[in-house]
Amino acid sequence: MQSKIAETRKELPQGMLAIFFSAPAVLIIAATILVPFGMAVFLSLHNWNLKRPGRERFIGLENYTDWLTDSDFWEPLRTTFTFAIGAVILILAISLLIALLLNEKFPGRGVVRAMLLVPWAIPSVVNALLWKWLLDPNYGLINAVFLELRLIDSYQAWLGNMPGVMIWLVIAYSWIHIPLATLLLLSGLQTIPGDIYESAIVDGASVWQRFAFITLPLLRPMLSIVIIFEMIFALKVFDIIFVLTAGGPADATNVLGWTIYTETFRKLDFGAGSSIAMLLGAITLALAILFYVFLDKGVEQ
Amino acid sequence: MQQRARLRLAVIYIGAAAVLLGTVGPFLWLVSSSFQYERQLLNIPPQWLPNPIVLDSYREIFEGAVLGEESGVPYQSRIFLRSFANSFFVAGSVAAIAVLVGAYAAYPLARLTFRGRSVLLFGILASRMIPALSLAIPIVLVAKRIGMSDKIVTLVFINLSFILPYVIWLLQSYFKTIPIELEDAGRIDGCSRLQVVHKIILPLSLPGLTSAGILAFLLTWGEFLFALLLSETPASYTSTVVVSLFATDVDVSFVSIITAGVVSVIPPIGFALIFQRFIISGLLSGSLKG
Repeated sequence: MQSKIAETRKELPQGMLAIFFSAPAVLIIAATILVPFGMAVFLSLHNWNLKRPGRERFIGLENYTDWLTDSDFWEPLRTTFTFAIGAVILILAISLLIALLLNEKFPGRGVVRAMLLVPWAIPSVVNALLWKWLLDPNYGLINAVFLELRLIDSYQAWLGNMPGVMIWLVIAYSWIHIPLATLLLLSGLQTIPGDIYESAIVDGASVWQRFAFITLPLLRPMLSIVIIFEMIFALKVFDIIFVLTAGGPADATNVLGWTIYTETFRKLDFGAGSSIAMLLGAITLALAILFYVFLDKGVEQ
Repeated sequence: MQQRARLRLAVIYIGAAAVLLGTVGPFLWLVSSSFQYERQLLNIPPQWLPNPIVLDSYREIFEGAVLGEESGVPYQSRIFLRSFANSFFVAGSVAAIAVLVGAYAAYPLARLTFRGRSVLLFGILASRMIPALSLAIPIVLVAKRIGMSDKIVTLVFINLSFILPYVIWLLQSYFKTIPIELEDAGRIDGCSRLQVVHKIILPLSLPGLTSAGILAFLLTWGEFLFALLLSETPASYTSTVVVSLFATDVDVSFVSIITAGVVSVIPPIGFALIFQRFIISGLLSGSLKG
């Protein structure tokens, strides 16, 4: 990467140049990410409720110990992981199938690949609205189609009970996340050289054997990236919950993102909200580090 | 062998049809619904295609924006066009500034050796991982204290900082693909580093800059959390906020809600399809280590 020519003219040292070039971006990121992060830590160590102004005081780790001994943390945590694991499995399964399909050469492949961008481009809030309409208990298309196929006897309130609400939430969420995962897996598949398959065919390997012993192992680095990437996203889920279920029915879809929102912006308890947000952040960051490690491995291979 | 090839193609096309149905089907149903009368939407079984094509709900949005309360259309419909314009302003500004500021920040990461380079790279990656929810709390608190809440400029600034790491990551990986010899040639001719960036790197990176700008626009267009928390009046609502106001209100007719959804995805879906090559290459290099 280093330029081969000697410094031909008087110039600032590279370190100074780097500061000069990246200063605007670093300042913007610091002002809106680093500083708020510090403040969030500060708030999380305080009793800070906007409903009781003037009573703000330092309470150490009390907010954290309160959460960690409270089922109001553990229940949403379990719901969050149920949702995230469900979503990751569904996204991975479907996107792997589509990627394998698009890795074959056939006329019209480009069109199918382009159409993947339709769900990808839909904002999560509009996606929630779309599924609200599809799943409507009285007029929804899914009810009509399922009734036509005789899968149900009468119209159902899909979002009205467990486990239906969680299943549909996972499906609705995954619908806009499958395209990116597919494109990533497809790019992984395309790095596998074709002659490996050819020699396997000569050796008499079946389709299934080729998939299990060539495709999967060679795709592993990319699969790890997609799994961790999608996991981090799914743990932070909020938008679709806001529009589709508002945490209900009866807390069935109350994920941590929703708890943070209600705690902070409805109960106005900024201390409790910040501390639970930190806990979610810590879980996500732990996974992010894992992501970074896997990523390095992935590139080496 | 002929038969096997035919079977293979048949399986592929069945799969391709299923993928197409799954990807564009639900969206087409939304579009089809938006062109029907409310009473037709309540038909059981549903009516697949609009007959006749009804534009009432689209007209409502325009009438509501022009006539205000006089038009008699729901509140959300009246404020929708304004929020649409707000979204354009926010997403457009974020895209332009992010590419400009991001390009300068990406250059040293791609080409210079300096202490702290890997710290900067890791910081940029890590800042993409912090859940926005945990930062939203202090940001909203501060914005309200200093009187910057409910301002569209605030939304530009906040979105910018969440998009910048992504744009920098993408551009630095793009800059690395430009042959270093071109840069060396420029420097032998007496260009300063700044001139190298302006005259060699940026012009050669036009495809990369385009991908970064379009991705920044699309990600900002769909942003919801900060748009929700930092807006209090229609003056700063973006289209995602108004869509959520539609979707969570049981009193508004289905067709108005659905139409708002359709209109608010015209820009992102249009951009995505027009610039698909830029987007696919940008998504791949932006998500991976460059």
